[in-house]
Amino acid sequence: MRWFALAALCALAACAKSPTGAPASSSSRNGAVGYVHMGELIKHHPLYAQLAQYDDSIAALNLSATVPQVATSNPAVVQQEAALQKELQTAAERTKKLLDAKSKTYQAREAQAISQALRASGSAPAAGTIAQQINATAQEQSASVISAAQRDLLGYRKALDAQDTAELQAAQRAISDRVTRTYRAKQDELQAKESALSLDLAQKDASERLSLRTRLASLAMDDTDRAAAKARLAALDRSEADAIGAMKNRDSMTLATLNAQLRDQIKSEMQAKANVVRGRSIVKLNEREADIRKQFAGGPVTATNVENGKTPDRVNASLPPAVRAQIVALHQDYQRQFNADAKSTIDDFNATRNDLKRRYDQLRGLDVSAQAGAAAEIAMLGKKREDLYGQIVAQIGREVRVIAKQKGVGVVVTDPVAGATGVDLTPDAMKDIESLHE
Amino acid sequence: MIRLVRRGRGVALAASLAVVFLAAPAALAADVTDIGYVDQAALSALPSFQTANRQLAEFGQALQKQYVNRAKNASQSQQAQLAQEFQGKMAEKQRQLFGPVFGRAQVAIASIASSKNLSVIVDKRIVVFGGTNITQNVKDLLSGVGDPVPPVSTPPPSSVGYVDQSAIDAVPKIKAVQDDVVKYKNDQEKAAQDKLKSAKTDAERDAIFKDYKKALDDKSNQEIKPMVDLTRTTIADIAKKKNLALVIDRSNIIYGGQDITADVTAALK
Repeated sequence: MRWFALAALCALAACAKSPTGAPASSSSRNGAVGYVHMGELIKHHPLYAQLAQYDDSIAALNLSATVPQVATSNPAVVQQEAALQKELQTAAERTKKLLDAKSKTYQAREAQAISQALRASGSAPAAGTIAQQINATAQEQSASVISAAQRDLLGYRKALDAQDTAELQAAQRAISDRVTRTYRAKQDELQAKESALSLDLAQKDASERLSLRTRLASLAMDDTDRAAAKARLAALDRSEADAIGAMKNRDSMTLATLNAQLRDQIKSEMQAKANVVRGRSIVKLNEREADIRKQFAGGPVTATNVENGKTPDRVNASLPPAVRAQIVALHQDYQRQFNADAKSTIDDFNATRNDLKRRYDQLRGLDVSAQAGAAAEIAMLGKKREDLYGQIVAQIGREVRVIAKQKGVGVVVTDPVAGATGVDLTPDAMKDIESLHE
Repeated sequence: MIRLVRRGRGVALAASLAVVFLAAPAALAADVTDIGYVDQAALSALPSFQTANRQLAEFGQALQKQYVNRAKNASQSQQAQLAQEFQGKMAEKQRQLFGPVFGRAQVAIASIASSKNLSVIVDKRIVVFGGTNITQNVKDLLSGVGDPVPPVSTPPPSSVGYVDQSAIDAVPKIKAVQDDVVKYKNDQEKAAQDKLKSAKTDAERDAIFKDYKKALDDKSNQEIKPMVDLTRTTIADIAKKKNLALVIDRSNIIYGGQDITADVTAALK
């Protein structure tokens, strides 16, 4: 039995002695396996709040990345915008030519049909009658196309207004987000520095504090020494608090100044953006109006004047009622056919225009460019987060190594799926990490 | 008297043992002296890995050009099909280039582990303290002429166990919970994004994000946490029965260790 007790005591001595001072790799040859839950420890580190803030910012950016925002303009985009505008102009001209040609074709067909009707009724196909009829057709066609153009212009104006509003709202969001991020980044940076200073001060004084606390714990200490030790501890606390307080005050002033600057920046950027957007829309609208005026200056459809410039009379009243009714029916029929044909041409143009508008919107990056901006922001925050995470893990690692040596643990791994008979060093490491807050 | 003396000796022994146990908890735990680790990042800097990486990157660039050309006039479904086809090609090339390099590295690691009588080799990233670093030995062996010779013996039984998390995730009741949480997350994400579109101020956006985060946290605590706790307890129970010190994820095991995945999935079913 004595031998057994002795052996046990020897084992204790061996366990307590062997890991200390041994290099990491050789120490693994002696002692048990231990583990720590790094995730839990990180949550108790003084810089965790900073890390969590990065995580939240990244998650918030990821969430809002799909929300449309405004894009930046660059020369390539402007060039492509001009190309699209030219395409739209070409499509408009092509449509006008097509409508002119169709109008002439339908007038000719109507004239021919009226001549045949008059011949069939025994009446001479008076040039005046036909011309009068054709002119009426031309005027109706012209009125119809002008009315369509006016509707189109009104629609264009509304679309421009909606675009402007959307773009300005998106710009406001983007500028506001950017400014907020700038402010938060500065805030994060200053907080990180405050935390780092706090940590540095705590580490700097740690040994002195420990020594003072150890002395204070001794019952043999006399009152004078005890008072001196307490005073020294209080002085250390005050010195740390003063240093951190001074830094916090400086940081508050820096943040207040930055806030004022950023507010001014938002105001001036939004004003500039509004001027650009509204100005661009006014130019576009004026161009469109000028185009329409140019297109329809002499009427959109060429009238056939067969009486040497003389304005033809209305439908000849001397014609028999049946013939007059037939002429009116023919006219209405051709007018309907023309309208249907013209409508399909105008629909084609509208489809082209809508497609160009979609491409135009894409080009302005209402969706795309802002997402790229957010991705860059996420990458930047991710990098900062990784750096901070590395610092925190390295410091926890240093604490864990000390504990492992003290406890005679040969190998320590992080985040096991489950611990079994290994030594969980997390609670001890947690106490050490928490003492960094003091 | 003799009885008293004996009792006194017994008390002394008990006290001695109590001192041993209280002062050195590590002495009670499994004594693991055969854990090694490798720095995989350092191995990937070896010329053979670098060459394979470069070749794969060149192949990837060429493949990307081919994909863009073929996908230009393809419909959305055709593009998806094409993407799958090209991903397959990329994976095949990766196997072709890295297969032999990985195989050689595995043999080298096994050989060094065997010569040093190590029962398990893990990734350096999870080692905080201790362990035998065999990175340089492996590098030396891989840089030598000829192929490393595989060890004759199998690794000794290890006190470190491992589980394949993907196999555990595939257990029906765990998968059902995960699918439910993923669906919930997607729904919450979409709802939050819709709200963000109409939010006008930063305060509104912050509030939306906080609500979104809280909803996910609540759901996770309600459904995922109990499942994680159950899995951990199950793994720990099995590990104790098998006298394992701890259990790590398979992705961190490079060589050796005891695979307890089948026991865990069977217990969870």
